[in-house]
Amino acid sequence: MVLRAGRGTFLVHRRAAVVAGALAVLLAVTCVAYLCVGENFVSPGEVIKVILGQPSPDELVVGTLRLPRMVVGLLVGAAFGVAGALIQTVARNPLASPDIIGISQGASAVTVGAMTFGVSSYTVLPYLSVVGGILAAGLVYVFAWRGGLHATRFVLIGIGFAIALRSVTQLFLTKGDYLVAQQAQIWMTGSLNGRGWNEVSVLGWVLLAMVPAVLWAARAQRTAGMDDDTAIALGVRLGRVRLGLVVVGVVLASVATGTAGPVDFVALLAPQIARRMTRTAQIPLLCSALLGAFIVVFGDLLARRLLSPTELPVGVLTAAVGAPYLIWLLVRGRTGSSSGGGTA
Amino acid sequence: MARRRTAWTAAAVLALLLAVLFSLAVGARTIAPSAVIDALLHGGQSDAAQVVRQMRVPRTLIGLMVGASLALAGTVLQGITRNPIADPGILGISQGASVGVVLAIAFAGIHTLSGYVWFAFGGAAAASVAVYAIASRGRGGATPVKLALGGAAINALLVSVTQGVLTTKASALDEFRFWQIGSLGGRDSEIVGQIWPFLLVGVVLVLCVARGLDALALGEDVAKGLGQNVAVVRIVGGIGATVLTGAGVAAAGPIAFIGLAVPHIARAVVGNDHRWVLPMAALIGPVMLLVADTVGRVVFPPSEVPAGVMTALIGVPFLVTLVRRKAVPA
Repeated sequence: MVLRAGRGTFLVHRRAAVVAGALAVLLAVTCVAYLCVGENFVSPGEVIKVILGQPSPDELVVGTLRLPRMVVGLLVGAAFGVAGALIQTVARNPLASPDIIGISQGASAVTVGAMTFGVSSYTVLPYLSVVGGILAAGLVYVFAWRGGLHATRFVLIGIGFAIALRSVTQLFLTKGDYLVAQQAQIWMTGSLNGRGWNEVSVLGWVLLAMVPAVLWAARAQRTAGMDDDTAIALGVRLGRVRLGLVVVGVVLASVATGTAGPVDFVALLAPQIARRMTRTAQIPLLCSALLGAFIVVFGDLLARRLLSPTELPVGVLTAAVGAPYLIWLLVRGRTGSSSGGGTA
Repeated sequence: MARRRTAWTAAAVLALLLAVLFSLAVGARTIAPSAVIDALLHGGQSDAAQVVRQMRVPRTLIGLMVGASLALAGTVLQGITRNPIADPGILGISQGASVGVVLAIAFAGIHTLSGYVWFAFGGAAAASVAVYAIASRGRGGATPVKLALGGAAINALLVSVTQGVLTTKASALDEFRFWQIGSLGGRDSEIVGQIWPFLLVGVVLVLCVARGLDALALGEDVAKGLGQNVAVVRIVGGIGATVLTGAGVAAAGPIAFIGLAVPHIARAVVGNDHRWVLPMAALIGPVMLLVADTVGRVVFPPSEVPAGVMTALIGVPFLVTLVRRKAVPA
């Protein structure tokens, strides 16, 4: 199926469209459940009233406490999903997600370092972590570039930097006193706790600005996943396309990490599951975004309630929810191939 | 080729001897090499002799053992998964050991390094059994991609367990943060006695599959054609790698990078024959770890930079150069 809008055409895979629709419904149901469930249960009717802006006795709990946190979760999850999809496409390796190739670790190292040396303001830390993530990705890219971006080289060097940056983070953890270490540990796990409309607006504007880039990426992705010979034969400037895709992915992942911390596993898992659901050759961006958002919101719902009154960081749950799913997929044996071309 | 390999092996042995001497001589108090040798051979009660015998010898021994075990484990894992980025960390085995230690601190009330050993070991074993069990189910058996994905899944699961425990038990974090960084300092000779039998078993298992690994490098079908039982090679190699990783991590904490970088370096100098690559890795691993540890003692006096941080910082430029210079066998 081909969609035409002006000069832009998008090839739409029918199964992908159905999957996206189903995921959207699932996400909507999860969102309503998220707003209903909590310390005090709020009926779905009241929740919908609050969302529509009608007066309701539950406006404070739903509209002020739960809704902004949920929106942050949605945005962060979608950003991680798309970021993972783009980076996995370029690296042609399912393990190449921001949390494996050093982006999350760069963000963590800078943020935990700043915390250790006394920066505790939550208005400054997100920017620092964005800087850290982008710097780390830039270093990996520069060192991996040699007349082209070879997928294996990119992943290997990324993993190297990830390991080095993680030990720098751990060194910082041993330097501060243990309250700082605990605060840093929660941040590193990834948490939506205490996030509100301020975070939504910053994150929302950045993501809105990224929409054209993501649309471009959706088209460019098709060529970037080809093997080098085919793409060059077709006259595609592979280097530029891949650089563009990586930049979009890194910015999305860094911004999301800056807001909620490195919520592990979302960027790795969402694209892989999405691709298995749609059975397309390319990793589907829209489905990855929807699935990423679902994983984070559903994970946070569980994280809030599972051990209540203690709240877990959502990062604990995203991995605990995501990993068994991946394991189940592996056990079922539908994983003979990997994203667009094997482990590179 | 044979001559070149012999020359490289001799050079590696020499480098190892120098690294050992370096590790014994350098530190907060620098001791002349002649005094080190004197203290080792003739004993003596001088301060320098005491420092060498009671602090630096155990530390160096642990460095030798841990370096060799992690390097061998990495080599075998890269061989059996046919994945150049496989290493104990990525496949979740080190993380298994970490979970064992976290649980020991938080719930079993164990607070000594020699007490951690068994938990680290059990965790590593459980994680690798789980990874293999997951990867070998379903169509096609334990393919490289499934092993790597299974490792990533188990890794993430275990990280979340660790983080869940750490965010709810603050006191455990205070202790664990010092273990998880990976260090050779403060270990006594008791640990050497605890881990050497495991190291020996691991080495024997790993050497048994050297030929099988060579065949596997040519591809699974070729390996079968050559009469190798691929499943047996993978299982024996995997058990060997687990035993080695468990012992290494138990002794020093999760030390990054040795398992990933050393096999690449070893293959670059002696080629792809595992009967050469494995001994070479066992020589280069300790050199890397001991040099990292020794440099870490003196870069920022009076505090020490732990070996785990140093290996990572020294290892990255190594890996970058290597990966850039040669097309990595993918």
